[in-house]
Amino acid sequence: MNDVITKEHIFKHSIDTVWNAITNAKEISTWFLEADFKAEKGYQYVFNSSGENCSPIKGEVKQANPYTLIYTWIVTETPIETTVKWALEKTEEGTKLILEHSGISNYHGETAVTMFNSFNGGWDNCISGLSSYLKQIVHAG
Amino acid sequence: MQDSITNILKAIADPTRREIFHALVVAATALPITQISNQFDISRQGVTKHLKTLENAGLIKIHTQGRERFCYANPTPLKEINEWMKFYEQFWDNAIDNLGNYLDKKA
Repeated sequence: MNDVITKEHIFKHSIDTVWNAITNAKEISTWFLEADFKAEKGYQYVFNSSGENCSPIKGEVKQANPYTLIYTWIVTETPIETTVKWALEKTEEGTKLILEHSGISNYHGETAVTMFNSFNGGWDNCISGLSSYLKQIVHAG
Repeated sequence: MQDSITNILKAIADPTRREIFHALVVAATALPITQISNQFDISRQGVTKHLKTLENAGLIKIHTQGRERFCYANPTPLKEINEWMKFYEQFWDNAIDNLGNYLDKKA
């Protein structure tokens, strides 16, 4: 069984446009989670969610050189650290994103259960809420 | 650290242990260690060692009844890993969708 979740996606946008979207606090806050973020090594960032009962995510930026961004990912109230890596590559069509989320083996069974319970209650909804919010904006625009 | 997911991943990394675990899941009942070792072409001592690893990972339970020790499967820890993976698979799919919509709208 694998310890890493990997996602690949091609965007029809320039590598700098995508890089800004994943590193600029204002942009992250628009499409992802409300962010106190700086793409600087060592920066202690926080991703909040506007919904109720949603646990913030916090962590430290480990690497932020174009076009690789790595930060630790800690769900508040759990002591476990996982790692998220965003790597961008120029392609003919635009930009290829390779996203890796690793460190599941750092989770204790018991903590994992607590975490899923809290996710089921609220955090999952926070994300779907964000998703429908963005769809509204897109349709309105 | 006995209940850590590292232990679970290590426990199921070995093909023989996977087979033993699978046999117990399929049996859906407690099996005596003697019967398990008869099913596999390894010594009783070898089987006991594998069972101990599976027990430490929380994947099987062992209890003694009379002179025999019985084992049964407990797949719950695997479900936890699976749910974590499922949650974040969905989470990142949504995030990448949102990012795509955001970029398209901005362009």
